[in-house]
Formats: sequence, C-alpha cells, structure tokens
Amino acid sequence: MDSEEPIVDVPVVVEEVAVAEPVVEEPVVEEVVDPHAGQRLVVNKHHALVRLSHWLNVPILFGMIVSGLSIYWASPVFLHKPDRITHSRDYLADLGIAIARHVPGATADPSWFYNHFGLGVFNLAGGLRWHWLFVYLFIANGILYLLGLILGRGYRALLPRRTMLGESLAMVRYYAGVVPMKIARRPWPHPEITTKYNALQRGAYASMPVAGALAIASGWAMHKPVQLWWLERMFGSYDGARIVHFIVMIYFVLFLIPHLILVLVDGWDTMRSMIVGWSTRVAEAPNE
Amino acid sequence: MSDELPQVWIDETKLRKRSRRDFLLFGAGTLAAMAGLWWIAPVSSKKRVLGEHVTDALDTVAARVGLSKDRSERFQNRALTFDDDIAEALYSPNRTVRTYSKRDVTPLRNNYEGRTPSPEYLDMWTLTLTGLASGSDVVLRQPDLARFAQHEQVTRLCCVEGWSAIAGWSGIRFSDLLRAFPPAGGAKWAAIESSVNLDGRGNPDPYYVSIDLPTAQHPQTLLATHLNGHPLGTDHGAPLRLVVPMKLGLKNIKAITKIAYVVAEPRDFWAERGYSKYDGL
Repeated sequence: MDSEEPIVDVPVVVEEVAVAEPVVEEPVVEEVVDPHAGQRLVVNKHHALVRLSHWLNVPILFGMIVSGLSIYWASPVFLHKPDRITHSRDYLADLGIAIARHVPGATADPSWFYNHFGLGVFNLAGGLRWHWLFVYLFIANGILYLLGLILGRGYRALLPRRTMLGESLAMVRYYAGVVPMKIARRPWPHPEITTKYNALQRGAYASMPVAGALAIASGWAMHKPVQLWWLERMFGSYDGARIVHFIVMIYFVLFLIPHLILVLVDGWDTMRSMIVGWSTRVAEAPNE
Repeated sequence: MSDELPQVWIDETKLRKRSRRDFLLFGAGTLAAMAGLWWIAPVSSKKRVLGEHVTDALDTVAARVGLSKDRSERFQNRALTFDDDIAEALYSPNRTVRTYSKRDVTPLRNNYEGRTPSPEYLDMWTLTLTGLASGSDVVLRQPDLARFAQHEQVTRLCCVEGWSAIAGWSGIRFSDLLRAFPPAGGAKWAAIESSVNLDGRGNPDPYYVSIDLPTAQHPQTLLATHLNGHPLGTDHGAPLRLVVPMKLGLKNIKAITKIAYVVAEPRDFWAERGYSKYDGL
C-alpha cells in the first residue's frame, strides 16, 4: 500500500509483456470465470414419452374407472345380506349412501355412488362402450410408457435394490413423524437420498406397470374367457379375474392419494419436471 | 447427488423455448381431453356435474363445432365394432369351451328381460327354418328334434352383466341341423328369433339375435332341450333354446321359433340397444 509510486512505473513493463501475449491471456480468464454464461444446469428427469403417457393416463384411467363402475353396478361382486333399511346388498352402494348422508341436498340411495363416481346406473351398454374405447388406448399408452422408460433409461431408477428394505423403513419413519414434529417444532430431517427416487417411491412407481399389466390381463381373462382360456386359468376362475380386476382398480385409486399429496407438498419443480422433462432440483439443492 | 441422472448445461433460451412448447402442448392436451370426454359423456352424467343450463349451452357449442351427439354415438359404436373385430379374429373353430363336471353346476338365473311367457305356447310350438338350399321352408315339431343325435355338455354361461353360471345342457348340435337342412349358398348368418318373448307388461316383444355361421357350426353350439337332466321350463326357454357358450348369455336365445339363414348381417336385439353385435367370449 505504501509503495504506490513503483506500481506506476510497472505498467510500462507490463504493457511491453502484454504486447507479446495479450490475445491468449484475456479470453481464457473470462471463460474460467463463467464457462456457462447464459446456460442452466439441469437434469433430464423424464423422457418425453414417459411424460406424454403419464398425462394421457389421466383421462384414460378416468374413463376406465367411471365406465368400469357402471359395468360393476350391473352385477356387483362384493355383496352382503340385504340391509334392513336401504335394501342394499352392495358394499360400493353402501359407501355411496354413507357419503351422500353428508352431502347437502343428496338423496342417500344405493344408486348415488354409481351416479356420481360412475357413468350412472342402468348404463351397462354405455359403460361397456367407454370401457372398450379406453382399454385400447390404455394398452397403447402402456406401450408408449414402457418405450419411454427404455429410451430414456428411466427404468434403471425403478429397479429394486438391496438397500430398499432399510430405506423404506427410514421413509415410513420419516413420514410418520413429519406432522407430529412440525407441531412439536422440532427438526425432522428428510432421510438422505442419493438416488432419483426414495425406496417407497421406487416401489410405488415400479408397481404401476405391474398393476397396469395385471389390470389388462384380468380384464381380457373375463372379456374373452373362451378364446383366452389360459388367461382365465391364471386367475383361478372367471370370478377370480373379476376380483383381481377390481382390486387393481382400488390400488390405482389408493396410489393416487399419496401421489397427489406428495407432488403438491414437494413443490413446483417436481410437478414441472413431469411436463417439461428437466429439473433443477438435483443440481441446485442437493439432498432436498 | 444422483447416480442415475446426468447433469447437463443447457442454453437458457433453448430451455425456455422447449419448456414453453411443452407447456402449450400440455394445455392444449388438457383442453382436448376435457372436450373429448364431454363429447362422449352421457347427458345424465353431464347434467349431474354442471347442471342443466350449462350442459345445454356447452352441448350447443359442441354441436356447432361438429362434436354432435350423432357423431359421438357413431364414434363410440366404432370402438365396439373394433372390439368385435378383435373378438372375431381371436375365434378359432377348433378351440373348445372349457367343460365342467356335473358337480360344478350352479343355480341358473332366469334373466328374461320382460315377463316369462306362460306355457300355453308350448302346445302350438313349431320351429321354422328359412333360407335353405332346398328353396322351401321347413317346419319342425318337437318329435322331429328327438330324431337327431343327443349331446350333453356342462358349460359356463357368461352374462354381459358380469355374473356367470355353470349348467348342464343337452340337446342337438346346431351343426347337425345345418347338415340335415343346409342353408342356401352364400348364407353367412343365422337370424334366430323367438316370437313368444314378452315385455315387462306381458305384451308380445319378439327377441332376435344374429349368429355367424362359423359359431353355429361349432361342435359345442347346441339347440338345447334339457337343463341339468330335466326338460327346459319356460323360464329357461322351453322347448328349444340356443346354447352358445363361446358367446355372451344374451346370444343364448330362449324358446326359438324361427331360424333364417341370410347373407347380410341380421339385426340383433341388444346390438340395437347399444351393445356389441358379435359378443364372442
């Protein structure tokens, strides 16, 4: 600091040197400072076909389920002795009655459930027409999804691993504690995840193509039990296929509940990545 | 952080352009899906969701842009036809329907759509065959049927409603009747009718089904006269009913009075009411 004067002299020397190699020096310095000017670090999270089939599944599964309920209405599988008051024998109708009792202005009768969650009662023909329309779309969409998993290598994030049991337990413990700890205002860190999905997500997402295949197989087993007799045998009996088909539908609905809650809780980046494919999450905020 | 997701640097402008395209596609797709679902949804469901006035207004707009009710019906019927074509392609004349033992027999529901006919018709019952190679019609009575070889089978009857029942049937093979009274050349279908069917109030309401001849010729396609060892009652189609276990129950027409062999696909009671035509299992 106290030697201001000599520095004034130095530029003369520096200038001489700069003449020799100025063009090389300056641009290199700039690149080191910001090699990615105007760029953004992202990860490619979902292949375009995975995104497309994910969203197509929304109207398709909706169509399958609402029409399936109208088909189910024509001959329910899960029955009990007639209720003394409602005369209902069908558990789903009971569920509708229970819901309708809390809906203002609703008449709590056995048709309520099928009228509000399905395509209506006495609509077997309409239900079947929707079901056959949507099932071929569902199958085609499943093929798109699998293609996207392979092309985008996304299937690797869904494969089971040796650590999954311990990781699952850690996640269950985390989810169980997240609300009580919030109330208690105590820190409750998310288990450290070093992979695309945590073990619970991996299990849930990997089960979806399996459930889809099971839904299609059990559906065809009861749709064509003569020509595809071996498929019917796989499910034990005709009614066995009906029961599996119905349970898979319930599984899809149950999957949706945490799926929707968690994507809302998780934030915009996760939701956006299913539309645009990329995410900044991994790059900017590791171990989120 | 991730062992699966490679990180990449992408130009901001490129990323923004790509994302804008994806969001626009997503929005357009959402609107298209909603419009499509609206187009094919039953009116009763739409009114339940949005009320009468909004439904009428939206349906008017939809019809103006070409998404009319007629077109919706035709579009949905094409889905049924597509599924029927798949069913027909799957059909093999050599594939037999699973048979059961008599111990497996379950109660069989009388699923007559209307009232069950009263037994008076039985005394006057005849079966008329038309469209034969001989050129003239044939009228058969019950003793005529007894002269054919009798066959027995225990098969499952699957109803379009979803229930099914295992029943023991005996009677004559449709293929034997076809051999005894061959159809005219070029015939592809059997139009089978029952004139004794009644509606819910007890008024005459003839029932009719279309059966393709390959199905009629299948060895397990019976014209049954007995159920579980007893002559058919009026509840199960006395004195003669069709048993086609490779078709849905609604094709298993009861109390047959007429079989016409025809070239063009004949009308079918339930196909006219929005169900499929082929109904192959």
